[in-house]
Amino acid sequence: MRLSNVVRALHRHVHAAASPGSINASEIAHFSRLSSQWWNEQGEFSFLHKMNPVRVQFIREKLLQVSREEKGEEASSSTKILRGLDVLDVGCGGGLLSESLARLGANTTGIDASESNVAIAKLHASTDPKLDHLSYVHAPAETLLASPKRYDVVCSMEVLEHVDNPASFLSTCAELLKPGGHLFLSTISRTPISYFLTILLAEDILRRVSQGTHTYSKFVNPSELVSFFQKYCSPSSTQSESLEASGTSQLSSPWISPHASPNAPTRTEAEVRGLIYNPLRARWILAPRDAWAATDCNYIFWIRKPY
Amino acid sequence: MLFSLAPTTSKSCRAALVNCHKLSLCRPRRELSSAAHEECDVVIVGGGPAGLTLASALGSSQISSQNLRVTLVEGGDLSKVRQWSPPPGSFSNRVSSLTNASQALLKDIGAWSHVDTQRTAPVEEMQVWDGVSDARVTFSASEIGLARPQEGMARITENLNLQRGLLRHLEQLPSVQLVEKTKVESIQRDAEERGGWPLVHLDNGKVLRARLLVGADGFNSPVRSYAQIPSFGWSYDTQGIVATMVHPPRGAFQSPNTTAYQRFLPTGPIAFLPLSPTTSSLVWSTRPHIASALTASEPAVLASMINAAFRLPELSLRYLYDRILEAHAKGTPLTHAEIQQEILWREQSHAIDPNSAYASAVVKTAEDAGIPPADSESVPPLVASLQPGTVASFPLRFNHTETYIGEGHGARTVLVGDAAHTVHPLAGQGLNLGLGDVECLARCIENAVLQGGDVGSYTALMPYAQERYLHNHALMGAMDKLHKLYTTTFEPVVWARSVGVEVLNESDSLKAALMMTAGSQDHKVDRSAFGWNLAAKGFEGLAAGASAAKFLSGGVTGMIATGLQGLFKAASANAAKGN
Ligand SMILES: Cc1cc2nc3c(=O)[nH]c(=O)nc-3n(C[C@H](O)[C@H](O)[C@H](O)COP(=O)(O)OP(=O)(O)OC[C@H]3O[C@@H](n4cnc5c(N)ncnc54)[C@H](O)[C@@H]3O)c2cc1C
Repeated sequence: MRLSNVVRALHRHVHAAASPGSINASEIAHFSRLSSQWWNEQGEFSFLHKMNPVRVQFIREKLLQVSREEKGEEASSSTKILRGLDVLDVGCGGGLLSESLARLGANTTGIDASESNVAIAKLHASTDPKLDHLSYVHAPAETLLASPKRYDVVCSMEVLEHVDNPASFLSTCAELLKPGGHLFLSTISRTPISYFLTILLAEDILRRVSQGTHTYSKFVNPSELVSFFQKYCSPSSTQSESLEASGTSQLSSPWISPHASPNAPTRTEAEVRGLIYNPLRARWILAPRDAWAATDCNYIFWIRKPY
Repeated sequence: MLFSLAPTTSKSCRAALVNCHKLSLCRPRRELSSAAHEECDVVIVGGGPAGLTLASALGSSQISSQNLRVTLVEGGDLSKVRQWSPPPGSFSNRVSSLTNASQALLKDIGAWSHVDTQRTAPVEEMQVWDGVSDARVTFSASEIGLARPQEGMARITENLNLQRGLLRHLEQLPSVQLVEKTKVESIQRDAEERGGWPLVHLDNGKVLRARLLVGADGFNSPVRSYAQIPSFGWSYDTQGIVATMVHPPRGAFQSPNTTAYQRFLPTGPIAFLPLSPTTSSLVWSTRPHIASALTASEPAVLASMINAAFRLPELSLRYLYDRILEAHAKGTPLTHAEIQQEILWREQSHAIDPNSAYASAVVKTAEDAGIPPADSESVPPLVASLQPGTVASFPLRFNHTETYIGEGHGARTVLVGDAAHTVHPLAGQGLNLGLGDVECLARCIENAVLQGGDVGSYTALMPYAQERYLHNHALMGAMDKLHKLYTTTFEPVVWARSVGVEVLNESDSLKAALMMTAGSQDHKVDRSAFGWNLAAKGFEGLAAGASAAKFLSGGVTGMIATGLQGLFKAASANAAKGN
């Protein structure tokens, strides 16, 4: 059954971008061994390669939609929406997503805690004459907090389920955004289905993935992300962050209004969409909004930092 | 990357920026491109119909043209095509029946308006019959549920007219660079640390480094060899004779010359494709020795034989071939008067009424023709002469590559058109398959650009192969089987099992092949229906299995004729369902 491949690929795709205290050294090592495989589109990571266009599609369409709602129809043409934006890809791995965003014109920075990932990503990008606006950093994401640079878009794909302290990781991503900036996350839900596919089947039964690669308890449900951002408020403007936030009040309002149900956040504040693999066509698709059970395994999440 | 300069609001400044951007694309970039390498996003090898259409499609797509630098390399001199201006009333001998899907593509990309449609003719009706049993199917545009029946099922178009239109269109598309009279000498793989991209060495000394290398380079595709994509196939023991035929116009009591005819003979099908009221194109597939004797005969003799081949019983045709071969071998080819005499004699022996449309030995003048015979429209108009210099013949082969996308060391390559497949030209379908490839590939490239993808990557190209490979294979298989159904001399039982059964399974493709119009609907319609067709086929398969069993119990001798009749029935039933 090919589904097991999906699971395996997803599991092997272990990023290491957690906060300094929570980086799991063995995950980084395991991942580094695999990094030469990153760009073999038919190898270990084929499912990520196939998933990538769908992630970019979601990012593009979301930015377009917001821009149209704010600036009206003339806003921007569909290929130029990312042009000139400062984008950060946290846990960039071999650079699959970073390269695509850079090709769409975003000033892209990929950051990853695995040195060999970053080396592979740099080498691969150097072969492509069209990736002038792409750079990579080998460091944990937290180190960026020390610099005043903030981003229009922060992405972190398939990372959250591997970090030991998700709350601290989410705060880091959130703080790296400019006011009005966009955060995109993709991860796996903690549901019987995802347990079955990713742990029971892949690790315990098929043994395609070494046992313990994934910890069920680390999986994050969409409603938990929503709840987190119903409580989360951007820190008051202090120290290095003061550049753009100067003059704002002490504590801004939460990113998602606390009255909304965690299962149905206000559309303009956040969105959750399922990513579903169709084994017949060997393609990922973005599930329609509100599709039943679509977010029970892989999903992608968008939220916007308030101004 | 793109538009790296500071944004500006002034329109003129923006125009200047666009120009800079174009220039910067042309310069070798960054340290990795040694001075000799020119960086290209898409290199198309081959300026045949497939390559030119792809270049036009990419150049006219806003998304692709703003983001991709496209270079087309053609070994031949395209200025001859550009300046092609045939005298009025004369037509090139290489024509294709462009399906509505192909025309829709050409319209979408803006090339169709550069094609001289005065020189094309719609096919409003099609008559296909079995040369042995005389089972016949008639398809007409108004009956098969087309969205726009008045536009016909297909349009007979000279390949040169199409190519010239595409070249004119390309002149308006600055994002496409045409490099002509330049051959690809060799293709090498760039160093591993530079990603192993294909390096295309031209005979003018230039080297193009290709993000994506497209092989639109025909049957002997150098791109296919570079990518080491295996191709399997065989040559039919068959030649295709082409010629431009001149005939009197259809009379006042007849429908205009918009019917295509195809008769399946044991030596191969003969097709009559209308080009104008008084001109039509011939595609006659037959045994090589017959073809060489026919093409060596004087054109008037060939014209008589064409008339006979659409009319006389199969037995008599064999007799006529023998006469021609005999005379050819002796070095005393038959004269026109002699062959007409032979034909008259055969007609008399079959008791064919001299007033019937099936009689061709006695040429009737317009005056004494009067009211045409009742059967006049079941055969094409009588050919009076062949346009000088248009008789040619070429070998027919069946070839299909194992895949359309290069992998591993051949990565970043993709094949379209004849480079990927050559088919039996049951009435000029090869070109349509190629244009279908181009439509799909251009769409996949555009999608990849839209999502920031690398257009040379396997991920970007995979959907192309997924969509086209089986589609082409089914259609090619159907054409191949139609050919074999009549021409094979293998053990009949084995053959019936392997061919007859599958043939029924593929009745959709067969219908398309029979009608010479796979894709008489336009491509958008086709695509959305694709999944359902596949699903429906599974069920059809079951039904076909049942009838195949009956088929086999019917005895071997009658099977060949029964087989084709069955097919015709299946096809017309399908056609009646209205697609
Ligand atoms: C002799 C002949 C007669 C035919 N007659 C008919 C007919 O009457 N009706 C019909 O429907 N179909 C006919 N066909 C088939 C039809 O021509 C093809 O299906 C159609 O041309 C395919 O288009 P294409 O663009 O894929 O390839 P092609 O038309 O074969 O184009 C390939 C191009 O690549 C170029 N090329 C190849 N190698 C190199 C190189 N190393 N460097 C630079 N350029 C290169 C060639 O010069 C050529 O222009 C005929 C085919 C042949 C060979």
